[in-house]
Amino acid sequence: MTPQSLLQLTSQKCTTGCPILDRLLYGGIPCDSITEIVAESGSGKTQICLQLSLHAQLPVSHGGLAASSLYLHTEFPFPFRRLHQLCLSFRSSNAHHFPVNDNPCDRIFVQSVHTADHLLEIMSKTDPFIENSKNQVPVRLIVIDSIAALFRSDFDNTPVELKRRSSLFFKISSKLKALAKRFNLAVLVTNQVVDLVGPNEGINGLRIGNLVCLHTSGRRVCPALGLAWANCVNSRLFLSRNEEVIREENEKSNGQSCDFVKKKMRKLYVVFAPHLPESSCEFEITREGLFGVER
Amino acid sequence: MEIWRLPISASQRGKLISAGYTSLSSLSSISSSDLARELKVSESEAMNILKVASHSRGSETSNASCSIVEGAQSAWDMLHDEESLMHITTSSADLDNILGGGIHCKEVTEIGGVPGIGKTQLGIQVAVNVQIPNDFGGLGGKAIYIDTEGSFMVERAFQIAEACIEDMSEYNRFLRKDFQECKIKMLPQDILENIFYFRICSYTEQIALINYLDKFLSEHKDVKVIVVDSVTFHFRQDFDDMALRTRVLSGMALKLMNLAKRFSLAVVLLNQVTTKHTEASFQLALALVTVLDLCSVTMLSR
Repeated sequence: MTPQSLLQLTSQKCTTGCPILDRLLYGGIPCDSITEIVAESGSGKTQICLQLSLHAQLPVSHGGLAASSLYLHTEFPFPFRRLHQLCLSFRSSNAHHFPVNDNPCDRIFVQSVHTADHLLEIMSKTDPFIENSKNQVPVRLIVIDSIAALFRSDFDNTPVELKRRSSLFFKISSKLKALAKRFNLAVLVTNQVVDLVGPNEGINGLRIGNLVCLHTSGRRVCPALGLAWANCVNSRLFLSRNEEVIREENEKSNGQSCDFVKKKMRKLYVVFAPHLPESSCEFEITREGLFGVER
Repeated sequence: MEIWRLPISASQRGKLISAGYTSLSSLSSISSSDLARELKVSESEAMNILKVASHSRGSETSNASCSIVEGAQSAWDMLHDEESLMHITTSSADLDNILGGGIHCKEVTEIGGVPGIGKTQLGIQVAVNVQIPNDFGGLGGKAIYIDTEGSFMVERAFQIAEACIEDMSEYNRFLRKDFQECKIKMLPQDILENIFYFRICSYTEQIALINYLDKFLSEHKDVKVIVVDSVTFHFRQDFDDMALRTRVLSGMALKLMNLAKRFSLAVVLLNQVTTKHTEASFQLALALVTVLDLCSVTMLSR
């Protein structure tokens, strides 16, 4: 057993496709680590996952991993049409990296997952799969969208079942981390949120485990799957969306007037990460994808 | 004082060594009848050996404080030893105060907290601070960092190392009072080189590594801190045999304590928290705490 030389250990990152988001994340999603994206439905988790699967195919000199990705989805249906749309705009803005008849969608391997045990089964088959992919375009990104869906209905609320659920978390996380280390993969996992009702003490205080409180759509929320799963991930990002009323100045023929317009404000927060300070940035979702907004 | 220096016959010496008595202190608390039985010699021979041994011991340690049982230390000596031991600063004065000066050597310190509270950051900080040279009040030693979760980021360690060097040069400037830019010869790269980093992916690797540390530490005597981040992650899965898990964990904790005492280094264990169901309420508690029965324990909270 020899220690690894820290000077030779560099953590590679996969770009998100937007320089503003990359700056927030100090380069992108890191390899050899599990990054979790927490958000309520409709906040953009799947958008980021699809975008990352495409941008992982960029060469390393442009921030990508020159790799294909494995996309495990638990919620049906898989957004094929949106992926195709993103793929078209990705191709047009990065045409010089890919040959003419190439389809980046060919390098995204999609697999549906039904239960937690099914996930464990798939992961044991993933080892040889990734090993074989080294001959063509190696797999360097695994996306699980979403991990919460696997656990939220199968388990009763008894201590025995919860304990079983917890040990499954650690088993899955341990396998994912071993895969990530062996093949230097980036792992992206998405999670849902649950509401926090009432004051910050008692069960609520326990759920968030004296962590910072998260807000979205005007509600106080905390990530699903509890403290046990929170111990299994390396970094956590939170996407929030709020409707804000903004005063917009409109030039009209009879002088200036103001309109009150409802705008969707979307923000990406770094909740915790070993290499990032607590920070946030605003973003928007367009047809071309998810991009940070500099104000 | 070794057995081979004793004025006894060669065959007696050979019997002592093959029975496992290699030092004088091991002969201090055995009776002559037990020794005779173990060595398969007559009781008078055994009594002779013990007399010779205590005579040699007595002449050598005539100026040491007398002790009832050989190998014991008076409480006064222990207090003196403890006070003269160096501490590793955590770079936070308040935290140092709570810990009684810093992370203590010869002790195992367990630090627990929720995810994201700063356990890994503290671990990296300690691994950097142990390298502060003696001139600046540090131990000038190296560090072993055992990463079980993959949360060690080199770029962050580099940032912390840079800040530590900056702190040292400011302190230097302060001391010298002549406002000259005093160059510290250490570079962040040197600090990173002095951290022995091990990444482990399963509980078997963890146990194997802790067993191997004995050999590693005897080859690298300048290691002054072992940081394990985090110690219980791989044990929280379902084990087929829970009794095995308990045995393995307590064995590991004991080994770490022995390493700390033998090599005079500090062991820092970072632990996760879990929820504890008591009669009517829930509490946050350190994971697997009943198994890892250790010395000083600190909980971090926001």
